[in-house]
Amino acid sequence: MTGTQTIAKPPAPTGGRPGLGGRIPLARLRDLALVPAILLLVVVGAIIDPVFLSSANITNVLQQQTELALLVLAEAIILIAGKFDLSLESTIGLAPALALALVIPAASNGLGTELPAGLAIPICLLVGVAIGAFNGLLILRFKLSAFIVTLGMLIVLRGLQIGITGGQNLFDIPPSVLYLGNAVWFGVPASIWISGTLFVVGIAALGFFRHGRAVYAIGGNTDAARAAGIRTDRVVWIILMVGGLLAALAGLLMTGRLGSVAAAQGDGMIFTVFAAAVIGGISLDGGKGTLFGALCGVIVLGLINNILTLAGVSAQWIQAIYGAIILIALILARLTSGKAQD
Amino acid sequence: MRHTAKSLAGIAMAATLAVGTVACGDSSSTEPGAGAGQSPQIGIDLPRADSDFWNSYAKYVPQFADEYDINLMSPTNSQNDVAKLVANVQAMVSQGAKAIVMAPQDTGAIASTLTTLESKKIPVVSVDTRPDKGKVFMVVRADNRAYGQKACEFLGEKLGGKGKVIEFQGSLSSINGRDRSEAFAECMKTKFPGITIFEEPTEWEGPKAAAALQTRLAQHPDIKGIYMQAGGVFLAPTLQVLKAKNLLVPPTDPKHIFVVSNDGIPQEFEAIRKGEIDATVSQPADLYAKWALYYAKAAAEGKTFQPGPTDHNSTIIDVGNGLEDQIAAPLVTKENVDDQALWGNQIGK
Repeated sequence: MTGTQTIAKPPAPTGGRPGLGGRIPLARLRDLALVPAILLLVVVGAIIDPVFLSSANITNVLQQQTELALLVLAEAIILIAGKFDLSLESTIGLAPALALALVIPAASNGLGTELPAGLAIPICLLVGVAIGAFNGLLILRFKLSAFIVTLGMLIVLRGLQIGITGGQNLFDIPPSVLYLGNAVWFGVPASIWISGTLFVVGIAALGFFRHGRAVYAIGGNTDAARAAGIRTDRVVWIILMVGGLLAALAGLLMTGRLGSVAAAQGDGMIFTVFAAAVIGGISLDGGKGTLFGALCGVIVLGLINNILTLAGVSAQWIQAIYGAIILIALILARLTSGKAQD
Repeated sequence: MRHTAKSLAGIAMAATLAVGTVACGDSSSTEPGAGAGQSPQIGIDLPRADSDFWNSYAKYVPQFADEYDINLMSPTNSQNDVAKLVANVQAMVSQGAKAIVMAPQDTGAIASTLTTLESKKIPVVSVDTRPDKGKVFMVVRADNRAYGQKACEFLGEKLGGKGKVIEFQGSLSSINGRDRSEAFAECMKTKFPGITIFEEPTEWEGPKAAAALQTRLAQHPDIKGIYMQAGGVFLAPTLQVLKAKNLLVPPTDPKHIFVVSNDGIPQEFEAIRKGEIDATVSQPADLYAKWALYYAKAAAEGKTFQPGPTDHNSTIIDVGNGLEDQIAAPLVTKENVDDQALWGNQIGK
């Protein structure tokens, strides 16, 4: 791989030198590759049904994508660092389920400990961090393959959730847990603010801060990064914990939005997460792609879903059309950016 | 990647299950005590562990096994995977099962297993689903077409035969989802042609239903009715969306949206009492367990049955590859929601 080159290529402009220098504008262009696809979808949506452009509908689309967005944010950072985390889709279910089981009475399928309801959110987030830390332990200390470790964790965590809740959906949710997925701040759902803010923080961190840029260096060439003085293991470990934390937060938002923790919450979601990240230009080999691109990927998927519903596509055909549109979006991104995808 | 995950999960779970069944087989021979060694062993496979309905069913199984004095083997669980079901059935056969109760969620892929069982003269009772091919002794199943029919009639009357209705379809690859969708559509077309239906595919996933409902309400704010084919997965998301839109109002309010559900879980009854939803069709988890075990025992003892009405308010029909006892599934509204005979009122007590 082009290790040293990747290190030399920062994801955002570094200095004032105006950009005929080649690398920087290209990186930027790649960033915007999905924008034409998004514009096209907006036009198509508006033609199919004028309701599409109403603020209520746009708000709905964004709100429905917030949980996916947080998972994609987590996965994108982990992928850029050259690692994998498949277990995110189980964390999004287990973290809120475990936190709630400790809080709600046994009659509502809880564990009977009945801790104060105020502890639910901290426990939930803590569970996420702990899962990330455990993944890190296996991957970094025991040097196991990230793919297999997190695949195993995906199964274990889903099984834990079913074991703890007895396979039941949890309906009895305290108001504090419902709040984040439900509240409206300044006319816009709180979950949109939260996801938006976290993406801005992520983009800034990976673009402008030393530790964030180190993530690209590690993903590009771990040995070179280590030689350059980056504590690679520590950075990756922190990233995995942040990933778990974001997944747990996504679990909270989903629980609040849907009013229950389903036994299968998040099941199969990792597939969509990878689809969004890869459409958004994140490389599965690590070291390449931007969080803005990943966010565009999330928005593209959300718009497609919304348009298919508005158009009333028949149940038998919806999957085929969904897949075909994703492929078209990819081709469009390839044509506009002019760069080979990987 | 998803595929790898599934199949690896399958291997892992099959291994645990195999260990589990062997271990349990040892203990069960001592547990049931006197007389158990004499009566024929009956094996049972549970289809999944992650739905309220099937968990209730699983709780009723040992209860009715005691009542009928059945020598029940430890139940296995096939995690909604036909490959695991086949493996579980093979394990049960080698452990000496004389009759098998199963609920194949994939009604096509089980055919060859049924043929094998037939050649070994092991009768099969299929619960909830009717296998497409292969011999079964009895299918114990609520009439799923009646679900769609009842939901359609209830909504049609409440809406006065006009307006817009949104329908959360289950998976069209499952016979129950198909039956409900078809019967609902047919009934609406013939009896209430003035009603517009929006059919939303959801694959039995709550988030998809919530997203579809949000979108449709933005597109058609005058939607007046909701038919959800499974309360267990759609209830909480639907109520959450309606609450956010301030549409969760009593039936007397003109803004009220009439909601009909299927399943009959306790949370639905609670919502009916509060006036948040209006009706549900109670899928009889207790009767499924009761009659499945009854027929399994009868089959192992060599009894046979004929098509026609039964003594428990249902009808046995001939479905070609066997018989089907179509268990009654009552419509539950505010009037009869406190009926203690409903299984949803029996659990957690």
